[in-house]
Amino acid sequence: MQITKREFLAATAALALAGSIRPANAATAINYWHHFTSQSEMAGLLKIIELFGKAHPGVTVTQESIPNSEYMAKVSSAVVAGGRPDTGMVIAERFADLTAMGALTDITKRVNAWKGRANLPENRWTGMSQDGAVYAVPAYAFVDWMYYRKDYFEEAGLAGPPKTLDEFVTACRKLTNPAKGRYAFGMRGGAGAFKYVIDMIESFGSPIVKNGQAAIDKAAAVEAVSFYSSLFLKEKVVPPSTPNDSYRQIMEGFRTGQTAMIWHHTGSLIEISAALKAGEQFATAPMPAGPKAHIARVAYAGNGIMKDDNVDAAWDWISFWGETDAAIALLEATGYFPASTAALEDRRIKSNPVYQAASKTLEFGRLPNSFVGAAGWSENVVNPAFQSVLTGQLTPVQAVDRMIEGLEAALR
Amino acid sequence: MLKTSRSRRLAGDILTYVVLTALTTFCLGPILWMFLTSLKTEADIVTSHMQYIPRTITFQNYVAIWTQSNFPVLIANSLVVTTITVVICVLTGTLAAYAFARLPFKGRDKIMLGYLLVRMFPAVMVIIPLYVMMRTVGLVDSRFGLALAYTSFLLPLFAWMLKGFFDAAPKELESAARIDGSTRLGAMVRIVLPLARNGLVASSVFIAIAAWNEFIFALMLTTGQGSRTWPVGLQLMVGEFQLPWGVLAAGGILSILPVVVLFAIVQRAMVQGLTAGAIKG
Amino acid sequence: MRRDHMKSVLPRGPITLLGNLSETRYWVYLLLFPSLILLLLVVAYPTLYGFVISVREMRLTRPGLNGWVGMKHYVAMMSDRVFWISLKNTAIWVTAAIAIEVTLGFVAAVALNRNLPGTKLFGVLILLPYFLPNVVAGHMWALLLDPRLGVINDLLVRIGILSTYKAWFADPATALAATILVEAWHGFPFFALLFLAGLKGIPEDLYKAAAVDGAGPVRQFRLITVPMLKTVIAAAVILRVISLVNSPDLLLVLTGGGPGNATQVLSLYAFQTAYREFNFGYAGALSVVMFILLMLFATIYIRLTHVTKE
Repeated sequence: MQITKREFLAATAALALAGSIRPANAATAINYWHHFTSQSEMAGLLKIIELFGKAHPGVTVTQESIPNSEYMAKVSSAVVAGGRPDTGMVIAERFADLTAMGALTDITKRVNAWKGRANLPENRWTGMSQDGAVYAVPAYAFVDWMYYRKDYFEEAGLAGPPKTLDEFVTACRKLTNPAKGRYAFGMRGGAGAFKYVIDMIESFGSPIVKNGQAAIDKAAAVEAVSFYSSLFLKEKVVPPSTPNDSYRQIMEGFRTGQTAMIWHHTGSLIEISAALKAGEQFATAPMPAGPKAHIARVAYAGNGIMKDDNVDAAWDWISFWGETDAAIALLEATGYFPASTAALEDRRIKSNPVYQAASKTLEFGRLPNSFVGAAGWSENVVNPAFQSVLTGQLTPVQAVDRMIEGLEAALR
Repeated sequence: MLKTSRSRRLAGDILTYVVLTALTTFCLGPILWMFLTSLKTEADIVTSHMQYIPRTITFQNYVAIWTQSNFPVLIANSLVVTTITVVICVLTGTLAAYAFARLPFKGRDKIMLGYLLVRMFPAVMVIIPLYVMMRTVGLVDSRFGLALAYTSFLLPLFAWMLKGFFDAAPKELESAARIDGSTRLGAMVRIVLPLARNGLVASSVFIAIAAWNEFIFALMLTTGQGSRTWPVGLQLMVGEFQLPWGVLAAGGILSILPVVVLFAIVQRAMVQGLTAGAIKG
Repeated sequence: MRRDHMKSVLPRGPITLLGNLSETRYWVYLLLFPSLILLLLVVAYPTLYGFVISVREMRLTRPGLNGWVGMKHYVAMMSDRVFWISLKNTAIWVTAAIAIEVTLGFVAAVALNRNLPGTKLFGVLILLPYFLPNVVAGHMWALLLDPRLGVINDLLVRIGILSTYKAWFADPATALAATILVEAWHGFPFFALLFLAGLKGIPEDLYKAAAVDGAGPVRQFRLITVPMLKTVIAAAVILRVISLVNSPDLLLVLTGGGPGNATQVLSLYAFQTAYREFNFGYAGALSVVMFILLMLFATIYIRLTHVTKE
């Protein structure tokens, strides 16, 4: 470890030196790590690179895609062993870990002097800052919401989407018909299930972390886990495959008409719109409110600088993503909700009824929990504990105990 | 007596075909399904009613993987890495395997175990220090560097497997050659290697496939398009917000093809090796 | 060709020299030298590194914590529930998968070795699963066994074995078994290929001689086939055990260790500890424990099978 770090520092210093003596007029080449995958995402990215090339002819950007599930593995190994990229994608869930391991460069000064800052209100920066220092420029947002089958709701005589969890359960009972292979709600119990388990715990009034200390209120959390798991165990309004269902399965369940409601965010709109007709077959609504709090996440994603060699060019590139042109290019290709308020005024958002739920959610939605170790705790503790409740190996009380125990260990 | 042995043989033949058919169904069924999936449109894959035969046959998935993934470059990289790996393993591993099989020496058990130990440390922990080393000598993001990393865990495998095949080759012929005045080297090259040819080919095929399919090292030791291999390129198709079954299936079919072609060629060589051995024997 | 060269003057030197050298006691070291040096160069430092960080605190997200912690991680492991579950699952997973793979591989090799018309085609077809990258094999079986889109579920329902689609990977009772099935499918051609090559290496004469001596097929099998194949089988098994214990890819794709740790194995646990929690110290300790367990296994195994003997 010692050697590694020393080597790394020496290499970085040598490279920095080489960078500083480079003639100013030569084109600077920087690379960019991202985990865009789909054709639409890649189209958006290439369009942004093209626009950027026109605006900054002195900088060339090489995009390098990393499989999403291995992104953090790759970044963390680059931090330890060297080989960092100039710039990289930063999503809200990974921000705390990235800054903690020192993967991102402090860009506060540059941000404060940046004219584009006016289009990005303070709350956009919260998720990209730590201890008053800014580490990434927000570019777009994933806004949590609910997709529901409009036609199924009409069939079941339901007037509109549920606004509270109570209404949600009532609706679930009406929409479920196992004989027809139809279930009300596509619950996520496999990879990524933790997201909504944590949302539930907060909806029932328990915080997760306060001032860097574990702050789960056991009684409220048990109530939340009991309620949420009862949808599977008692009400049976979710598909039997729930304990292994991750994003892909809930999405396919919804697209094939097996389920009537799913919770996800704006990022999946294009995929669902391709399979079902917006406004006729499906519509969107804000997440239902819990008994104590109305939880829906607004997760900003952006880009940060990971290496100081070409820091000016790197800054040009990541700040370009926060500008209206880039945001609109991405929106057109992928439907991803822009972070910039200037871009939010665009008619493609204003005139599209599907986006109203997202605009409404922006008013009350909160950032995802961001503390060091959040991702590890969520995936390695909350997920298996909740799955064990679903499969009957643990009671909600035992599961919450494990979550608290794991959280304390993660924060230690 | 003759009759019973003939009927017994017939029964054996029938049993052989039954077993082979069953095994082939088990092996081929999933691949056949993958092939069908690769020809389907998304609507026929993600559907509430199982669609066995595609309603419309589309080659869109193959087009997509060709254009989206920079397929020719990835395949070329994989080929280069695999070839280098196999060449290094065959050159050095054959010698080691011969020593293990034929030359009694002190501490052989320990050295053989030592070769195995190399494979036992989980890749998860080897990657980071290996990356540091590769960086120091400038082999990060290079096909040769990746091949060297593969060699580190495939060479022991190769030597061990080949040792088994050398053991199975009868020693009498070698002794005869030695009595005729051949040196150890001569006996090894002219007698033992041809006898163990099947094993040599099988072991090489095996490490070639392992190198061709390797994922974790390829992911961690390469970043640029210049050295990225095919399995990593395939995994890039799998995103958080999508899993294009059709494209992935097409990628799977495409990744089998080169290996099948290679194996078809090699199998011919194996058969020839057999007859050659039989004549000598 | 070679003989011609040997007669010419120049190349004669080195080859004769090598030939002479091959008669000395240095020959064996000369044979081992290239591979040994290669392995040491690539592997020595990484392995040492793994041992060192296992007694250090190294959490990327807590750069402040650093330094020697001695046996802390190992002590923590003893009371780590997930570690014990993973250990148990690893044992089950590896044993079951190997047992199925060896059996199927042996049956396939014996059948293919009968050289009946068409066996060559069968040979290629049976090997196909092994040609697929783990990543693809994993995703493909996830689709085959999918609780909504899975054709296996559909077939079982049609035959009447199941009444509704079953979520194989969601039920802790079936999840591990389902992953073993996938691994067996993917891995048994490895054994088939090796065993077949081993069988083909057995000279026909031996069987002929045995037949002349009046030995039936069963006796021939027991007295010739099994002993001749013994080292191939023994070597193949230990190599497979090692790669199964060490590779998390398939389970990573299929279940991620779930539901509720039902399919968690040591390699996956170490991977997740390192790259999801960035706790390299603890992951290093897990790796060292895996290493030691494998080494114990290998030592005992080698003693029992005499696989390293001639």
